Amino acid sequence: MKTLFLKDMRYRQARVVLTTLGITMLISLILLLGGIMNGMRIQARQYVASTGADIWISAEGSGGAFIGFSMVVEEYMAFLNSWQGLVPDSASPLVFAQARPTVHGKSTKAIVVGYKLGQLGGPKQVIANEGRMFTPSNFEDYRPEDPVPYEVVVDEKMSLEIGEQITLGNEKVKVVGKAKSRMFVLDTPLIFMDVRIAQKLLLGNTPHVNMMIAKTNKNEQPVRIAADLDALETIEARTLKQTLGDIIAYYVDEPMKAVQFLRVMLWLVAGNLVGMITYVTMLEKTQEIGVLKAIGGSDNYVMGLLLKQVVLISVVGVVLGLILSYLFAAAAPIFVAINFVESIIVAGISFVVCCGSGYLAARKAIAVDPMIAFRGEI
Amino acid sequence: MAAVVEGTGLTKRFGAGDATVVAVDSVNIRIEAGELVMIMGDSGCGKTTLISLLGCILTPDAGELRIDGEPIDPVNEDLSVIRHEKIGFVFQLFHLLPYLTALENVMVAMDIASTKTDAAERRATELLTQVGLRERFHHRPAQLSGGEKQRVSFARALANRPKIVFADEPTANLDSRQSDNLMNLIQELRREYQTTIAIVTHHEGLKENADRIIHMKDGRIVTA
Repeated sequence: MKTLFLKDMRYRQARVVLTTLGITMLISLILLLGGIMNGMRIQARQYVASTGADIWISAEGSGGAFIGFSMVVEEYMAFLNSWQGLVPDSASPLVFAQARPTVHGKSTKAIVVGYKLGQLGGPKQVIANEGRMFTPSNFEDYRPEDPVPYEVVVDEKMSLEIGEQITLGNEKVKVVGKAKSRMFVLDTPLIFMDVRIAQKLLLGNTPHVNMMIAKTNKNEQPVRIAADLDALETIEARTLKQTLGDIIAYYVDEPMKAVQFLRVMLWLVAGNLVGMITYVTMLEKTQEIGVLKAIGGSDNYVMGLLLKQVVLISVVGVVLGLILSYLFAAAAPIFVAINFVESIIVAGISFVVCCGSGYLAARKAIAVDPMIAFRGEI
Repeated sequence: MAAVVEGTGLTKRFGAGDATVVAVDSVNIRIEAGELVMIMGDSGCGKTTLISLLGCILTPDAGELRIDGEPIDPVNEDLSVIRHEKIGFVFQLFHLLPYLTALENVMVAMDIASTKTDAAERRATELLTQVGLRERFHHRPAQLSGGEKQRVSFARALANRPKIVFADEPTANLDSRQSDNLMNLIQELRREYQTTIAIVTHHEGLKENADRIIHMKDGRIVTA
């Protein structure tokens, strides 16, 4: 009777359904947590990689661009533009600051990127038919008597229309265009503006920027140039690769250590859940197992019946968990990027953990003495 | 007549040290083919332990056992194979699997013996018809009376054409009418399938059905 184990499962369907659902929820949680971390890693890279810069310069002791507090004086622009190995005039000042603009009357999270239009650091153009770029200032020859209009280009996903105004600091700024979406970590939208406006609104109108970025000549090694610049006493220099590594470590890996720990715990819980429920079910079935052994069922026969149930529950739980995690990811309010290969690996490991713990419980259960058949009721 | 089961000096102890209980003490027993033997005695005299030893559920601490003329080596032999090939068991509390129908409960014994499903279904149908449960094939144990459950239990015990069926207090949970019916059925099945049957019972009224009565006391056979 190939369906004997299925009949047993149908008889105990409430427990089977609850166990399967438990595994499903745990697997989808494990995958969603991984997907959130992947999403954060992708978003952490998105903006930085899109700038096209090879070298990132921040203040000495800041720990790198984006990491610690960094203020660099404007004079480094001329210095960098003449540095051997860097593309002449490629150096660009950059303000990169977290802000709380008021959008439609609500305080919203955002990151303000102030850069020189046409230089590294931000989009060179808006999305087709979505407004225009902001009016640029003359950064090198700043004239307070020629104020630059407060204009911004916003992320296309910010639900803002061209011509709308948002409040930044105490000033109203006008949305003049929309840029292709490049969110920063945890779906934080970027607002692009002229570096002078950013200095005024966010840095107290000081002649500083948070960092400077530049491009190396094609035949140059960014690592070597970054090392040469880093040797200077007042600045720190990093390559793109180092900067990405710093950002991912600072914004994703370190804060997410607890989440990684939680994922491992969830695996253990999933395995424990299957093992525990299998074991409790086995305790309930000791009389039945004893009878099967008394009428000639070998340990392998009984183990086969139990393991078929464990495997079926684990397979269904894991597959449903995979499906559910993709559905949750699509509906999640933040960017969740479940990696397909990772999800297969997670499913595989979860399956092994669930089956392994079920096997241990079943192995204990088949040690039942068939003499038990002479006592008690099923 | 040939012995289906033969035990020599069978001994089984439980516990250790001062708490050791000798449940079966140097028992010599021989059950011939086709016999209907009743094993009687007070509670705790070792009846159930004896049929567990003879049925290869327990391994003896001392003594030798032969089934169907073959010596049994409890250390090196897979006793589960002997149990499903040569022995049938009927339990006091029936012990049918609650999630299976009467038909499936009989078939499960043959599933254990790797009988093909079609053949197992034919045999189970034949046996259940024989025990008078033609109308109850697809009923679950919860839908059957005590007497009906015990009939299914006998059908299951006979499923693999065993050399001997051991029944532990098969009438203990039945009323007198059901007990009489069951004993008539046992006699009928014995004639039909030429099966040797050993019944452990307290029930004095069943004595008349036996070919031989074995009385036990304190783990020993006092009359056989």
